[in-house]
Amino acid sequence: MAEASAPPSLATRSLGERVADALLSGRGIWPAVPAIIVLTIVAVIPFIILLSLGFSDMEVSRGDIVSQTFSLEHLINALTDPLYWTTFQRSMTLALTTMTLCVFFGYPVAYLFLIGGRWTRRLILVLTIAPLLTSGIVRTYAWLVILGGRGVVNSTLMNLGLIDQPLRIMNTHWAVLIGMVQIHLPVMILPLIAVMSRHDSRLVEASANLGASRLGTLRSVILPLSVPGIGTGASLVFTLSYTTFVVPQLLGGGNYLNAATMIYEQVVYSLEWSKGSVSSMILMVTCLVVLVAIALVTNHFTRWTKGRDA
Amino acid sequence: MRPLRHLSLTDALGIGLILCVAVLSLLLLVAPSIIVVMISFDTRAFVSFPPEGFTFRWYAKVFEQGELVDAMLNSLQVGLTVTLLCVLLGVPTALACARGRFRGTTALSVFVLVPHMVPGIVLGVAVLFAGALVGVSPSIWLQSVAISVFILAVMVRTVQSRLVRLDPALEEAAANLRATPFQSLRTVTFPLLMPAILAGAVFTFVEGFDNLSVAIFTHGFRDRPLPVELLALVQYTSSPLVAAVSGVQIVLAIAALAAVSLSIGLDNVND
Repeated sequence: MAEASAPPSLATRSLGERVADALLSGRGIWPAVPAIIVLTIVAVIPFIILLSLGFSDMEVSRGDIVSQTFSLEHLINALTDPLYWTTFQRSMTLALTTMTLCVFFGYPVAYLFLIGGRWTRRLILVLTIAPLLTSGIVRTYAWLVILGGRGVVNSTLMNLGLIDQPLRIMNTHWAVLIGMVQIHLPVMILPLIAVMSRHDSRLVEASANLGASRLGTLRSVILPLSVPGIGTGASLVFTLSYTTFVVPQLLGGGNYLNAATMIYEQVVYSLEWSKGSVSSMILMVTCLVVLVAIALVTNHFTRWTKGRDA
Repeated sequence: MRPLRHLSLTDALGIGLILCVAVLSLLLLVAPSIIVVMISFDTRAFVSFPPEGFTFRWYAKVFEQGELVDAMLNSLQVGLTVTLLCVLLGVPTALACARGRFRGTTALSVFVLVPHMVPGIVLGVAVLFAGALVGVSPSIWLQSVAISVFILAVMVRTVQSRLVRLDPALEEAAANLRATPFQSLRTVTFPLLMPAILAGAVFTFVEGFDNLSVAIFTHGFRDRPLPVELLALVQYTSSPLVAAVSGVQIVLAIAALAAVSLSIGLDNVND
């Protein structure tokens, strides 16, 4: 016992341990330095290069850049090209619709989580987290099976005698929207559940004791308290569905062009790097604008808890 | 016990409607996976519903196809590399963010978060261009590093939120017993952090294995990862083969979920 409780003498400690102590005792920035270096090399510098490519005129010969001069040409070309406008508009509409529908379908699940018992809560968690662990392609493929010519929907409708010929759902705007909502629903539900599980159940009881109906409690107690969760979920769903590649590519057929598929074509097929850079920047900036707007709206409607856990 | 409150008609209708939508949403979440698993046992060579017969043929075929097995192994390698990098870089960063007493801890947290906030395809394009300029061509390593940078924030946040909630008295006790900072980290803090690190590891692995947005621009042309291979497969084949691949992934997902719930408990995943 005496040996175990005696402090280790400094002499027996290895050099490595002493270095580790020196680094850790200061509570300094040192532990984060490797991450900072990697992030700088792999994220910050590439972003600067992306910017410089978008704002420059290059002469490339044999894969090397011969000359590079500042120019707004690519940005102006992009902003005056109607194709860009329709493509980004389509992506924006699709993402905002997806976001709204995800709130509509996701919020009731969170409410069920709030009022449900232990097993209901577990079931909801499993059903929400499991899809996030399978790939987006697999989940999109499921919709090919469901909405396809010989898929679930068409077979069922034909067996019921409601239609004679398969409906053409695949490769339409609707197929993309249905797939988007289902695939991004878990991302909406999780932040809502996080808010709901921190919920103080005494507030609901107090509301009931004061004579509020359940709908009244939902509207004036639960809903205002869950605004930060809606905000987080909405931002995540928006970012993902605004920049998604898989769903439009697979469910929209080859010719459904959204921002992400356009960037892919510019970068990988036509090797127009300056165009690709400009498109990426437009994508990033427009995405950021919407995220700031969502944050402002969320902040405006956040009651009582403002500044605490919002 | 309070007596059950009498429900008014509008109240009952409203709540009933909300619960109906909730059940519908939950069905919407799970139904596609069930349908895909059913299709994967179909004996016919085309995708049609309802499936006929029962066979393991497609599952056998998944493992006979060289490209698919290669793609799985590539993705496995990417997933493991990403996890390793994120643990090595992320856990110390979380320590600095949560415990650091220097100016700019908030700035550091934001800095780590930025690559994760940027759309994956933009990061992918940026890394591809930067690599090309300095002569690093797309490869399995470029892909792994790029995805690690993209997902690092998840690891940092998972560990950081656990660190913040640890009882400071435990480390003070260690210090009072004359443990050096390294000793208290190794014997007190680290074991307490283990569940969070494991949870972070599962999520970063899944991202490394499944990521398409970053990978599609940075993967090597010889060693294609599974998502890229699958995307091509879904576009150009119409047999239940893809359904079988999906079946395998669903089983893996359930295993991962079981791992998370055993290590930290499902209820803590969200924090």
